Amino acid sequence: MIVITLQREKCIGCNYCVEHAPERWAMSKKDGKSVLLGARDRKGFHTVKVNDEELEQNKTAAKSCPVKIIKVTKI
Amino acid sequence: MKKQNVEIMAPAGGFDSMMAAIQGGANSIYFGVEQLNMRARATMNFGLEDIKEVAETCRQHNVRTYITLNTIIYDHDLTVVKTIVNAAKDAGITAIIAADQAVIAYARSVGMEVHISTQVNVTNIETVKFYSLFCDTIVLARELSLTQVKKITDAIEHEQIKGPSGRLIEIEIFVHGALCMAVSGKCYLSLHTHNSSANRGACIQNCRRTYKVIDEEEGYELKIDNEYIMSAQDLCTIEFIDQVIDSGVTVLKIEGRGKGPEYVKTVTECYREAADAYFEGTFTAEKAKVWKDKMEQVFNRGFWSGYYLGQELGEWTDTSGSKAKMRKVYIGKGNKYFTKIGVAEFQIEAHNLSVGDAVIITGPTTGLIETKIEEIHTQNGAVSQAVKGDICSIKLEKPIRKSDKLYKLVSAAE
Repeated sequence: MIVITLQREKCIGCNYCVEHAPERWAMSKKDGKSVLLGARDRKGFHTVKVNDEELEQNKTAAKSCPVKIIKVTKI
Repeated sequence: MKKQNVEIMAPAGGFDSMMAAIQGGANSIYFGVEQLNMRARATMNFGLEDIKEVAETCRQHNVRTYITLNTIIYDHDLTVVKTIVNAAKDAGITAIIAADQAVIAYARSVGMEVHISTQVNVTNIETVKFYSLFCDTIVLARELSLTQVKKITDAIEHEQIKGPSGRLIEIEIFVHGALCMAVSGKCYLSLHTHNSSANRGACIQNCRRTYKVIDEEEGYELKIDNEYIMSAQDLCTIEFIDQVIDSGVTVLKIEGRGKGPEYVKTVTECYREAADAYFEGTFTAEKAKVWKDKMEQVFNRGFWSGYYLGQELGEWTDTSGSKAKMRKVYIGKGNKYFTKIGVAEFQIEAHNLSVGDAVIITGPTTGLIETKIEEIHTQNGAVSQAVKGDICSIKLEKPIRKSDKLYKLVSAAE
């Protein structure tokens, strides 16, 4: 399993995470920031546990995030 | 038509800078809301909920307000654009500074005044004519010479080019602050190297770093005198403000939404005084020198005149950060103010405070207060120095608030 975390408040809405991992990310049309699909919001940190097969594309999403607010950890 | 005066527009990265701008004599302020502005990375942007308070405070001080909404815009941003424009309209914000056509079109559709951002790089009269269909003020590209600026303002007057308000188009230019190494709004350096687009307000400013040039074929490293080969010095026009005003511009804009209230107040004050002196006929080179010296005390990368006088390239800075001659050191926070006796109480949280120290106090309502410590009182009575942990009182004519921060000014060399 892997854990993906998004510190959503700092998102600048560049869309890179959606480009790299469209199954896990979407852009909110409401506030223009990214949404980590399936995640729960814990005090601004949005977290979701997913299968290993999503590791690579989400690592790329984290790497390409210009404001470095995505964290991907293998557990 | 001879102008009576010019508008000094100051940056507001937060409430403290906004108050500092007002205290410095700004006629208008500009600020970002949420992520769609050129300082998206900064933590200091205002939220939607702040717009009303900004508008109200500025209205009380007769200061105009502009929201920067000037990044490139994607489909998923369109709702936010509308939300911000609507909130601005409801709050009575003066205008939106826009670059993308989607923003321009929506703001116009709800009757909001639009200013064209420098991100659009307007460099000729035909483009001014085009945008006059939608906007009343245009910020020209920062790379024009004053001769080119004058040609544009003359043509506006001659051809009577008017905006939606029915007034002649007003021209705004940057007079002070950071400059880009590339034409503003067209730099992709940060995007290419760090995937972080300057045009979405996320510039990582890697042009401000040192670089080596290596001949890959033979491995020779070229020696470069100034390793900051891409980092332009900061723009400063105060010494030729007469020529700037004579070019027919109406608004003089100061860069620096990422900078502190002491920068905002000092720079705004200097340009306000310089412009007033020009119109009173008392502007002199000696005065300009005094203003420039004053501005060297706050954040700067060294000054040059930008492209306005047609200088050759090569005015690169030789430092990664500021060349300010003074720096601020955090001392403590405000506790309370005793109005009747004019005394402010502070909690000292770091370093120490001595009689004779030059200090500044900043805060969202306070703005910026500059003073010199003449006496200090602690629980031990009058002392010459208060140290970390002390609660101390100082004489102060203006009130402070609980959230205010107290800084000591020390020489940058210290």
